[in-house]
Amino acid sequence: MTPAPSPLLAIRGLRAAYGKIEALKGVDVEINAGEIVALIGANGAGKSTLMMTIFGKPRARAGQILYEGRDITEVPTHEIAHLRIAQSPEGRRVFPRMSVAENLQMGADATGCTEAEREATLQRVFTLFPRLKERYAQRGGTLSGGEQQMLAIGRALMSRPRLLLLDEPSLGLAPLIARQIFDAIRTLNRQDGLTVLIVEQNANHALKLAHRGYVMVNGLITLAGTGAELLQRPEIRAAYLEGGRHG
Amino acid sequence: MTAKPAIGIPAILKTAFVNALVALVLFSLMVGIRTEAGASGQLTYWTRFGDLASLVAAVFGGSIVIELLRQWIGPTGAEKLVPPAVQSGISFIGRYLAPALLIFTLLVPVIFYDQRYILDLAILVLTYVMLGWGLNVVVGLAGLLDLGYVAFYAVGAYSYGLLATNFGWSFWICLPLAGILAAFWGVLLGFPVLRLRGDYLAIVTLAFGEIIRLVIINWQDLTGGPNGVSGIPRPSFFGIPLDNSDDGLAARLGIEYSPTHRIVFLFYLILALALLTNWATIRLRRLPIGRAWEALREDEVACRALGINTTTTKLTAFATGAMFGGFAGAFFATRQGFISPESFTFQESALVLAIVVLGGMGSQLGVALSALAMIGGFELFRSLETYRMLVFGMAMVLIMIWRPRGLIGHRAPTVYLTKAQAISSDLVKEGHG
Repeated sequence: MTPAPSPLLAIRGLRAAYGKIEALKGVDVEINAGEIVALIGANGAGKSTLMMTIFGKPRARAGQILYEGRDITEVPTHEIAHLRIAQSPEGRRVFPRMSVAENLQMGADATGCTEAEREATLQRVFTLFPRLKERYAQRGGTLSGGEQQMLAIGRALMSRPRLLLLDEPSLGLAPLIARQIFDAIRTLNRQDGLTVLIVEQNANHALKLAHRGYVMVNGLITLAGTGAELLQRPEIRAAYLEGGRHG
Repeated sequence: MTAKPAIGIPAILKTAFVNALVALVLFSLMVGIRTEAGASGQLTYWTRFGDLASLVAAVFGGSIVIELLRQWIGPTGAEKLVPPAVQSGISFIGRYLAPALLIFTLLVPVIFYDQRYILDLAILVLTYVMLGWGLNVVVGLAGLLDLGYVAFYAVGAYSYGLLATNFGWSFWICLPLAGILAAFWGVLLGFPVLRLRGDYLAIVTLAFGEIIRLVIINWQDLTGGPNGVSGIPRPSFFGIPLDNSDDGLAARLGIEYSPTHRIVFLFYLILALALLTNWATIRLRRLPIGRAWEALREDEVACRALGINTTTTKLTAFATGAMFGGFAGAFFATRQGFISPESFTFQESALVLAIVVLGGMGSQLGVALSALAMIGGFELFRSLETYRMLVFGMAMVLIMIWRPRGLIGHRAPTVYLTKAQAISSDLVKEGHG
């Protein structure tokens, strides 16, 4: 997990807007291979927008997104998944009427892999989330919130990504389940070398998990540093930890 | 009418009274006053308060009975009105129903060989089964509400009708062409509606269906306008005509000619086309494209994040559904021998859509059963002409109450574990949360 010479994902001066409302006002973020990077901030800070803009929805108005040194700012949304970037979107968005098996298969479908690779990835997902194996034939919509989050992550993993984008994986989950999810992310990072960008409101968990973190306020990055550093900053503690009583 | 369960007699009476009042308002003009044109064209009317009173009284009494029944059954949700035993019975029958139905269908011409009426009806039902299965790809699988499906039916019918009458091309050449042309129109419809969903999509497809019909009516030079296309050749048995001539099929086989031969041939033709539709749909569902259709129905944003090209996915759904509609249209043209715009009204679209929705969106067997019930039911109640629509409306309301997902709401999964793997105990014990 030695950091690569150039970052896996480099975002430079990124601007994006919904109509006239500017959600990103020039964001710079770097993610090195093998890192977990946390992006924290309040509601409406632009965290999810940043994640969506990496996937081209909404399109960037200015700035650059470089992935493995290649400019992907203008790449169509559906092709970004083929570059081995996967996303577990906000609100999980599992396919409710499709079975757990089909949900997972959907992750593998678009990117194209051999049967053996698919099977190996599937077994890896089951090791991480044994719950999914138990629920294999069940419909996605009948799973609990935590299981749906596991499914959303599992589905993203089925495309065998190098970079995994997670949007609020602990949203609406009981603390115990949230910890399981975070443990799984740590395992993925340590054992599989997966690079992770995690957007969270649960700053305490996210910063403990992450190697580095960024703090976003009103579409701008206001603070950056290692996870431990950010956790010690009084303004972070005041804004996200003591007041919120997360974790 | 009331949302909370009625408990006492006053509550029941109140509900019944409200219902009776609604009935009084509704029926006072519809039944209470009868108008007619008099001998010299003037308006005459007379009142029928007796009939009105008996109707209102029937509603009043009926409401009381329904309320009492509801209390007797207990305060269950509407869906539980079907007891679990019946539910499991239905699923048991479901496993053997499809093969049994198929075998029966194959034997229909043998059993009812002498009954032309039943054979004709069976062909009609199968045409709608095929249309239902075709629309099922668009509405049931991809979740794109299409109110103009009849347009593709029309494109298929006119493709065959015009190619056959103008160029004398055989049915077997025109059939794939009709499918291709309909698919082309499906893509053409697909492009402008790519960004639309739900109600908005429904409106545009509705308009598209009307546009096709109006073009057919007004493009007199090509389509014959309201006069339609007549003299469309009957299908041949792969080049051998099914008629009374010397080189007809009957003469070649050395059997006596009977007009029923052609009906039986048409029956097996539409059966084959319908089964082709079914087979293709089942196959496609197990392929990535079919799964992508279903995923698109569930969540478009998630689809894009997973690397699915939603544009091509939607267009292929439209094209595939339209192609089957085109095949059915070509069959319709060759069976009727005459087509006119009147056969392709919005009512047809609505009927096919009702078949798909009532059958259970995405369920092949459900669509077949509901086509049988709808088209067969229409014929069955033909003698009760006045009450036919009433029975129909009732049946639809009841189905929507009892089985809101359609007759067969169950959706068979398409992915299984590749190997039968025992779940090891160390995996299971970790299941918390």
